[in-house]
Amino acid sequence: MMAARANGKRASAGERRKRETQGWLLTSPYLIFMLIFFLIPLLWSIYLVFQRWDLIAPTPTFVGLANFKEAFTSARILQAFLVTYKFLILFVPVVMAASIALALIVHNIPRFKALFAVGFFLPYLASGVVISLVVRGILSYNSPFNGLLRTVFGTSPDWLGNPVLAILVITLMIVWKFAGYYSLIFMAGLQGIPGELYEAAAIDGAGAWTQFWRVTLPMLYPAIYTVLILAVGLTFSIFTEPFVLTNGGPQNATLTWQLEIYYQAFEQFRAGYGATVALLNAAVTLISILIIRRIVEAWGRHYGWD
Amino acid sequence: MAQIESSSKTVLPVAAQAAVRPTAARIRRSRGKGVGIYILAVPILVIMVLPYFYLLVQSFAPWDQVDKQFLPGSLSLRSYEWIWTGGGFGLPEPWVQAFFNSVLVSSADSISIVAVGAIVGYALSVLKFRGQSLINNFILFQMFYPAIILLVPTFLIIRYAGLYNTYWAMILPRLVSLWAIFMYTSFFRSVPHEIIEAARIDGASELGIIFRIMIPMSRSITTVIFLFVFMDRWTELLWDLIVVKNPYTETLNVLLTTLFGPYGSYPGPLYAAGVLLTFPILILFIIFSRNFIKGVQIVLR
Repeated sequence: MMAARANGKRASAGERRKRETQGWLLTSPYLIFMLIFFLIPLLWSIYLVFQRWDLIAPTPTFVGLANFKEAFTSARILQAFLVTYKFLILFVPVVMAASIALALIVHNIPRFKALFAVGFFLPYLASGVVISLVVRGILSYNSPFNGLLRTVFGTSPDWLGNPVLAILVITLMIVWKFAGYYSLIFMAGLQGIPGELYEAAAIDGAGAWTQFWRVTLPMLYPAIYTVLILAVGLTFSIFTEPFVLTNGGPQNATLTWQLEIYYQAFEQFRAGYGATVALLNAAVTLISILIIRRIVEAWGRHYGWD
Repeated sequence: MAQIESSSKTVLPVAAQAAVRPTAARIRRSRGKGVGIYILAVPILVIMVLPYFYLLVQSFAPWDQVDKQFLPGSLSLRSYEWIWTGGGFGLPEPWVQAFFNSVLVSSADSISIVAVGAIVGYALSVLKFRGQSLINNFILFQMFYPAIILLVPTFLIIRYAGLYNTYWAMILPRLVSLWAIFMYTSFFRSVPHEIIEAARIDGASELGIIFRIMIPMSRSITTVIFLFVFMDRWTELLWDLIVVKNPYTETLNVLLTTLFGPYGSYPGPLYAAGVLLTFPILILFIIFSRNFIKGVQIVLR
């Protein structure tokens, strides 16, 4: 590395110009792509939020802040906001607990470690559409699962027709899909905890439970932080499962931000309003992540991380 | 933040070895509690693979038993025949066509993502040129920029370019992945500079160095990047749904979505299509799983 730096300094002016051109030439695929699919849409989206456009009229109409006014008074936006927080409150703690548990299992299991590591990861490979298909089948009225419930309890619920159950079902589907993936991050964290910490804790008389809360969890802080941000970000972009399985229903109980954006922009053909909803979604996501980061960082500082 | 990065970085190489084979000490230590953990682990493993099993079994069930019996009384290939002949859909082979479309779109994007990722990552890590750190920072900014804001305007660009309902509409906006560039940039930084210098002295071009030396050297992270982006592209729904409304061009994932309701009472063919959509990825993953576990540990840094 050092030698290379010195070489670079000694290189002639012509050589340096050649490197310069090569650098820009080799990054050009990214630069062109970034211009067309990032900068232009970025500016366009700022323009669009002040327009009304049905995508049929040749040009959009300037409407000022009307899109924002509509969004802030829309019952559907409020619903999307609430539904997302319901998902957040259900999904984030459950997926954290599940993925830590999976990581602990793989970490401590004496044999077939690779089998369990790979097996727990498999759900991540599933298409949301296919899993929705399977879940619809398992929860349909005549399914073996509901049949079993009826023999045992005498009744089976209308899983996807009940607002509370529908949200629970979708949450569990997403937990199933992501727990194994997030557990890879926790596994890496677990490997890094020095064994001496546990020995010291054991000498101080800490049992397995205390060791978990006082040693394992605080030492996993970097992994917890990463997974938390990933999981919160994910909650704000749930689309496939509610779109395919419930289409936002019943009674808008699973109406997420992305569903509302899709509905407004691509079913109602309201490009300006759709772009506005997308902007609000991004703002709410960023603010939520910032708040949650603050809370976790405070917890981490308590254990000496910064 | 600095603490987090440095600590997880030092942790990982150890993790990579330990994840694959347990040390003798650990085996000895855990022999006592050995059985207890399996009572927990095996049922979880069953839950994790159960939906795949259900999918496979139901796709072979006679149509009057689909979703009514967990294990069908007899096996039937009717669902697959239906898919193969495109039964009742008014098109010659919509399912086969959609499968081909998925393969085309996902392969084109994944190959491009790996190639562009390696080329740009090489330029940003090995070469030195003015503006380099600006580009590096811009990539980071773009990675954390919420992509949802770009959805509507990107659709408009595709429409204006006259690409609505074409393969290009699905392929073009995913040709480059920031994550792949970022991964290659940080991985190539650790490649000893002497190797590159030696290749240059032997007269290799920069592209030659990237494709003959850098990519073969980074086989495990290339595997991970390829598998992740391929899977991501293969299961993409929202974008493909928006830009393609034509049964000849749409992907299998989209076709399955559009027939989700109409085939509600006869889900057999949907299960067969689900197998077609799921098992190629599973097989790909299991073939590469050894490289994958190694690579994921590097990626997780």
